[in-house]
Amino acid sequence: MFNLSDYLPIVLMFIVAIGFAAGNVLLSQLVGQHKATRTKTMPYECGKDPVGNAHERFSVKFYLIAMIFILFDIELIFLIPWAVVFKSFATAGRDLGTLIYVEMMLFVALLLVGYVYIIRKGLFDWGERARLEAEAEGRALAETEARRRAMQAATTARAA
Amino acid sequence: MIPLSWYLALSAVLFTIGVVGVIIKRNVISMFMCIELMLNAVNLTFVAFSSYFGDVTGQLFVFIVMTVAAAEAAVGLGIVIAIFRNRESLDVDDASVLRL
Amino acid sequence: MNLSFAIPLSAPDVNFRLLLPELILSVTGVVVMLVDAFTGRSQRRATATLSLAGLAATAWATLWLWPSAQGADTRAWGGMIVLDPMRLSFTLVFLIVAALTVLISAIWVEWEGLPAGEFHTLLLFATVGMMLMASGNDLVMIFLGLEILSIATYVMAGFRKNDLRSNESSLKYFILGSFSSAFLLYGIALVYGATAHEVSAQPQASGALAQHVILAGTTNISAIAERVNDGLYPPLLFAGAAMLMIGFGFKIASAPFHVWTPDVYEGAPTPVTAFMAAGPKAAGFAAFMRVFLLAFPFVAASGQMRSTGAQLHDAWLGALWILAVLTMTVGNVVALVQTNVKRMLAYSSIAHAGYALVGFVAAGAADSAHQTDAVAAVVFYLLAYAVMNLGAFAVVTLIARSGDRRTDIEDYRGIGFDSPALSLTLSLFLLSLLGVPLTAGFMGKVMVFSQALGEGYKWLVVIGVLNTAISVYYYLGLIVVMFFRERTTEWRAPRIPTTLAVVLVLTVAGVIYLGLFPGRVINAFRAVQPIAVSSLR
Repeated sequence: MFNLSDYLPIVLMFIVAIGFAAGNVLLSQLVGQHKATRTKTMPYECGKDPVGNAHERFSVKFYLIAMIFILFDIELIFLIPWAVVFKSFATAGRDLGTLIYVEMMLFVALLLVGYVYIIRKGLFDWGERARLEAEAEGRALAETEARRRAMQAATTARAA
Repeated sequence: MIPLSWYLALSAVLFTIGVVGVIIKRNVISMFMCIELMLNAVNLTFVAFSSYFGDVTGQLFVFIVMTVAAAEAAVGLGIVIAIFRNRESLDVDDASVLRL
Repeated sequence: MNLSFAIPLSAPDVNFRLLLPELILSVTGVVVMLVDAFTGRSQRRATATLSLAGLAATAWATLWLWPSAQGADTRAWGGMIVLDPMRLSFTLVFLIVAALTVLISAIWVEWEGLPAGEFHTLLLFATVGMMLMASGNDLVMIFLGLEILSIATYVMAGFRKNDLRSNESSLKYFILGSFSSAFLLYGIALVYGATAHEVSAQPQASGALAQHVILAGTTNISAIAERVNDGLYPPLLFAGAAMLMIGFGFKIASAPFHVWTPDVYEGAPTPVTAFMAAGPKAAGFAAFMRVFLLAFPFVAASGQMRSTGAQLHDAWLGALWILAVLTMTVGNVVALVQTNVKRMLAYSSIAHAGYALVGFVAAGAADSAHQTDAVAAVVFYLLAYAVMNLGAFAVVTLIARSGDRRTDIEDYRGIGFDSPALSLTLSLFLLSLLGVPLTAGFMGKVMVFSQALGEGYKWLVVIGVLNTAISVYYYLGLIVVMFFRERTTEWRAPRIPTTLAVVLVLTVAGVIYLGLFPGRVINAFRAVQPIAVSSLR
């Protein structure tokens, strides 16, 4: 049955967490010194000096990695319930341990085949290929830029 | 306890929003998100029934639907990337080499 | 909230024999994938040969299972997989489609330098999906098969990566395909809820002896059929059935859910179009028929109040009647004004789905004794359609050349006497699609229409025949263009490569064989044990 008071500990945890975070920020605002130097006002990028614009286009290979990650990640939802009920199926009464063990290993083996396939297809090969791709992308970008400039020039010429 | 019909009504509303979205949206990514909304409305229906009945089958179905949705997302985004490489637009009205 | 879930007690009756065709083909798919990954692009032939060998082995396994289709243990895997004549005959159709597609695509992947291994892998997995759709006795299984098929086909439609038309075709197919899958899924969810029933189950804690009663819905088709009359929420059942009908209607491209078909068929590479028009459509019919004929069956009227099952049966049969008429008419009428051969064949495929739906309506109205006959007629129709359609698309592939450049009807002007082999075979396929006597298409139409007449659907048959009359115009129109129009531009007759020659010989032989001697095939589909099979044992 649904009982609101069961959730009290969670609510308390939220309050403590928010309070801790907000309290620390407030405390440093109140007690700390404020000297804005150039280094301090820079955007924080994990300790490195920020380079270029944040609205940069990412290479497609990141998309591929993300996609592969999703595909392999989602298979976990089959592994976890399997692990949870494994024992109750393997007990003497049902005696299905070997069967469901072998079946899950088959499933994992199939995933492994997919993994081998993407390695062989060079998905993780970022050396030579990545350089070539980056160069091609740079050329394409320069081309579109040149085209845009030419178009602008044409419109200004027409306006004049 | 919240009655079952509330969950069913909610999922029907979500499904309808998804359907309407697919029909009126012109951006492929938005259409795709609306399809995901439809799938998740179905998941909600399954979980509501399953939890109300105390029967685990519906929840197992949700696992399968989630996996299928992930596979569909991967393929769908792959197609979108392929189109984007050939033409710098994701508006379906621009995708009209083939007339409708 | 009920938080203690019970695990069903039924033992998973593992039976690999029943699943042998699907298993063989899946393993072949995985092997082809690995071969492709480890040999690189040089081994084009290897993957094609391997795929054909796998398909042949699967066909052997299917024939081997045939005699036991009416035996005792025809269910396994918790009732999820079923073995019956309908499944096996549909499986054979899928295998034929897949094998011919491998042969047609051989020339195409060579022309365009496409990764053949990937294509064959996708094709094999799509075929496994189709087979699961035919063999699943559970809505879950059917949904999974459908998705395996659809996801592979989305990629195949966009296989020519740098061609915008192919991209667009793939995108449209993907959006509308997953849209319809969502409808199907919602239908499944509603049916699952509507068929809730009280069952006794054991709590998960081991050792607890107390059985307690829980409610449980079902997605198993046989169980749904038992529960249609006394489910907990009958209105949901109607809504669920309607949603399922929309979902399947999209998959088989029946009007008014056909809008995606012409665009997708035109833009996809021609061998893929051939596959999509023949395979997934047949698979859609397999699942559609299994769900509606077996889960929402005909119930004889009893007493004053009509039961939920009888009402549901009347409702879906009426809807299907309208669907069949619309599909035939829209397909044929719109095909009249097409200027592109692939689009014309796309509308023709819509029309043919309509003719097959006529047989489906007959099967729905029939009692169980006649139902097998009507189902066999529909499968025969789909087999005949697959053979002639693949043949026609093989010729279109060859004439279109790389990049699918020549697919307008104008491109066929006056080619008849320059390359008689191609144009004569194409004419044969067009005549068969039209339904001229002595061809497969004629026999298919006769069987489907006679089943419908037997169930008293006079008007449906009249409309079907009128539609055939309409279709004379565009089928014969193409033949006239090929033979009796002057060529205005230069044209060089293409050399027919070996693989395509094999396809043409096989399909021509198939069209004539099915047109002249349909008896053995139709008897096998009715599960009278075929002679060839009994000698094989």
